[in-house]
Amino acid sequence: MAKLSVNGKAYFVNDEPDTPLLWVLREALQLTGTKFGCGGGHCGCCTVHINGEAMRSCRVRLGDVEGAIITTIEGLSATSEHPVQKAWVELQVPQCGYCHSGQIMQAAAFLTENINPTDDEIDVAMRGNLCRCMTYIRVRKAVKLAAEIKSGGKL
Amino acid sequence: MIEEKLSRRSFLAFSGASIVGGALPSKAAAKQITDLLNPASPIMLPANFSPSLWFTMESNGRTNVHIFKAEIGQHVGTALAQIVAEQLCLDWSNVSIDYPEMDHNTFVKYGGQITGGSYSVHEMYGKLSKQAAFARQLLIEAGADLMGSEFEDCLADQGHVKDTLYETDISYSEILSELVLDYTITADDLAEAQEIDRSNFKIIGKPVKALDIPEKTNGAARFGIDAYLPNMVYAKLVLPPTRFGSTIDTIDQDSAMTMPGFLAAVPLSFPPEAKSQGFITDVVAVVADSFPNALRAAKATNVSWNTDPNYLLSTGDLFENAEKQLLNEDGTDFYKIGEFDNVKSKIELEATYRTGFVAHSPMEPASALCHYIDGKLHVYAGVQGGPLLPFILSQFTGLSPDKILVYPHLIGGGFGKRFEVEPIVISAILALNLNKPVKTIFTREDEFLLSHPRSLAVQKISAKSKEDGEILGLKHEISCGWIAFNDFGLVNPVENGSPVSALPDVQLFSATGSDNWYDFPNQSVKMHRNKQIEEMTGNRAVRSVANNYTIFALESFIDEFAHFKNVDPVDLRLSMLKGMRMNSGENADSLFTKGIAPYVNVSKDAYQSSIDGGRRLANVLRTAAGLANYGGLLADGVAQGVAIAGAEERTNPSFSACVADVEVNAEARFFDVKKLTVVIDLGLIVNPDGALAQVEGSVLWGLSNGLYEELTYANGKVEQTNFDTYKWQTIVGTPEINIKLLENSNYPSGAGEPATSIVAPAICNAIFAASNVRLRELPITRERFASAVSEVLSE
Repeated sequence: MAKLSVNGKAYFVNDEPDTPLLWVLREALQLTGTKFGCGGGHCGCCTVHINGEAMRSCRVRLGDVEGAIITTIEGLSATSEHPVQKAWVELQVPQCGYCHSGQIMQAAAFLTENINPTDDEIDVAMRGNLCRCMTYIRVRKAVKLAAEIKSGGKL
Repeated sequence: MIEEKLSRRSFLAFSGASIVGGALPSKAAAKQITDLLNPASPIMLPANFSPSLWFTMESNGRTNVHIFKAEIGQHVGTALAQIVAEQLCLDWSNVSIDYPEMDHNTFVKYGGQITGGSYSVHEMYGKLSKQAAFARQLLIEAGADLMGSEFEDCLADQGHVKDTLYETDISYSEILSELVLDYTITADDLAEAQEIDRSNFKIIGKPVKALDIPEKTNGAARFGIDAYLPNMVYAKLVLPPTRFGSTIDTIDQDSAMTMPGFLAAVPLSFPPEAKSQGFITDVVAVVADSFPNALRAAKATNVSWNTDPNYLLSTGDLFENAEKQLLNEDGTDFYKIGEFDNVKSKIELEATYRTGFVAHSPMEPASALCHYIDGKLHVYAGVQGGPLLPFILSQFTGLSPDKILVYPHLIGGGFGKRFEVEPIVISAILALNLNKPVKTIFTREDEFLLSHPRSLAVQKISAKSKEDGEILGLKHEISCGWIAFNDFGLVNPVENGSPVSALPDVQLFSATGSDNWYDFPNQSVKMHRNKQIEEMTGNRAVRSVANNYTIFALESFIDEFAHFKNVDPVDLRLSMLKGMRMNSGENADSLFTKGIAPYVNVSKDAYQSSIDGGRRLANVLRTAAGLANYGGLLADGVAQGVAIAGAEERTNPSFSACVADVEVNAEARFFDVKKLTVVIDLGLIVNPDGALAQVEGSVLWGLSNGLYEELTYANGKVEQTNFDTYKWQTIVGTPEINIKLLENSNYPSGAGEPATSIVAPAICNAIFAASNVRLRELPITRERFASAVSEVLSE
């Protein structure tokens, strides 16, 4: 049995230690907001926070995160009111929405390091999060808006 | 009394028997307390008012709009609900949507309602509008009666019926609490529907927030891959060594059987008729109690295959054979005006264009959960052709279509991929055989290896013209794999504006775009059906389908011709966009009279989208040129190119134009797309922000297809298996984009695809304007650009 801390709750899970965290979250914990996209760390759909850092959960093994603090999209805000979520709704960013759990988790972690990012900094931070609906124009604007919301500027 | 008043009005035909408490004072009836524990107690709970397949009104004041179109990121539910809410005069905050289950009746009674071709708003606008308008009339009638008012004095507003004379009002909620409206709107009723005029619109045309977005930001949205049933098991596929043409020889599951959670390795072999035209191929499904365990067990399963050597071709062979086909075969007619061969001028300009395979590559890998219980197959999946699914699965399972139920889920990117049914067929067969709910999930590698790409195309265009540059005849020859989906899209060729049933059918969706809106006095489009591509790759519909190659070739050629004749490319286009004859769009409803219904059922008024097509194209081109300051001063090394299209089809067009600003430094083998200006005429726009989002995505999709995307085959197998090798547009390097939606009084057309096809040719035309380097092949990879430059520099 492995002990996991996810979204402030403790879970004991029975999966093999080499099981990707992604599948533990999705199947054992039924936290399906974290998405499977590529399995190779190329697309960012499965991004979660591990000890506050944005990580690709498809490339993290269960055995490596025992004792770590894990946050998924479901745990980002109890009321769905994280500044990034607010900005995403305000600017109507998602189309199909499949990649946006990952986009939002990536942006949320990024904004803890950089509270006033430029377009280029946003591009660098978000470049590993692919969106096939190509919502990039709005992603860029929404990260900026989220930064403003975070610093108390808007909404 | 109600009955007396109702009988006066032909449109209000519900009988006394259907009104609960018809013999009682109606207010008393509705407020009577019902004892649900007593079987003898009369059920007096207010019933829902559900006059149409597409919406249900509840006595609590809420209206639920039922969305049969698949949600693939276009927020279709919001747009369709706006149409219903407008005509029902609802308070938008009381509107919700759902995606109902579908069965065989969904298709039999209400038609295909497939989600593709940018058809959703275009197909549904008139229907929903009339249904909701008539339902509003019923509500006004009922409200007037309850208030003791005259129908003529009443109107509907914000979920209320108001008597304008006595200034009384009653809410829909109260009406539906007081009486039961048990009525289904008939086709005859619709003729009497009085639609609210658009000058009075309150909800249509407003950028209301999409109803499906909040759940897409907090993990609550349920996509097909998230479907769950207790005790479900998981299947991972073991794939053959070639895309098609391999059959299972032996399966060695000895080591898989030692793996945790392993349940079965099931060979799935399909008969030739199921495999023809690339619908499905033989696979082995390895089933386990979790997906990670299925992955492990699949890895430990050794399958040996027999492969037909005819299927071992590579992309180069397919291009070569397509080129030979253009040389050696006459092809069949698709679209013809006058007689190109009889034009007494020599061919002045001729060019050949090549475009490669493009994968759908949605972010959500394909999946399906199926459960067979009590004689019925339950399907939990995201699918773009949901109403058709019971019939397709019936063919693969032997179950009667009425035993198959489909529960639609959100789709993590469609682009045409979710017309494909492999995971659903596989899960269905496994569920029937294993007696458990089975979820099949494709890995990203499976998703690529089982691609249904847009076909490669080789196209030749030739022009005959007068000395002064006027084009007298244009011939467009296309070799490509055709999209196969029963008879959907197989239309009669069109000659001088009329379908010709004596000629062989042609696949509209593989040819569309070549039947362009330029006023050529003689025009010939010849299709060369390339069955080798179909059998080798299972090519199918990828966003904007044929337009992406036909418009690339056509708009590149027009540009080449303009430079050849020393005419400005915009001027040349405008000179041929006068909306003459066919290009007035007047006869759109008579063009493709077979092959479309019942999959898509547009009503007569939807053909208004084609009216004045040629001139509307000229208008978007002028507008885009103006917005982009076409012909004005540009930065050093920057030039502009243009392209236009009336995609998706002549019968369903959204007119668009693109001006691309591209910086080129030929010496350095460098180019950079600086800016894309896109103007698109959508007719009436239901949700401007939703439409804008669709066009933003389309433009970047077109850019991505044009610059990066190329799926290739080696020895019959797809070479790219993940996003590290199949490259497409990321957030880095997205150019400045200026999009203008043109709204006018025309019937609404689609926004989800049409602007994709104009981006690549506009970029290529800009590159030529900047450097005299003509690119006739997509994608324009850096290598291809560099070698084209070297060729020009060496001349």
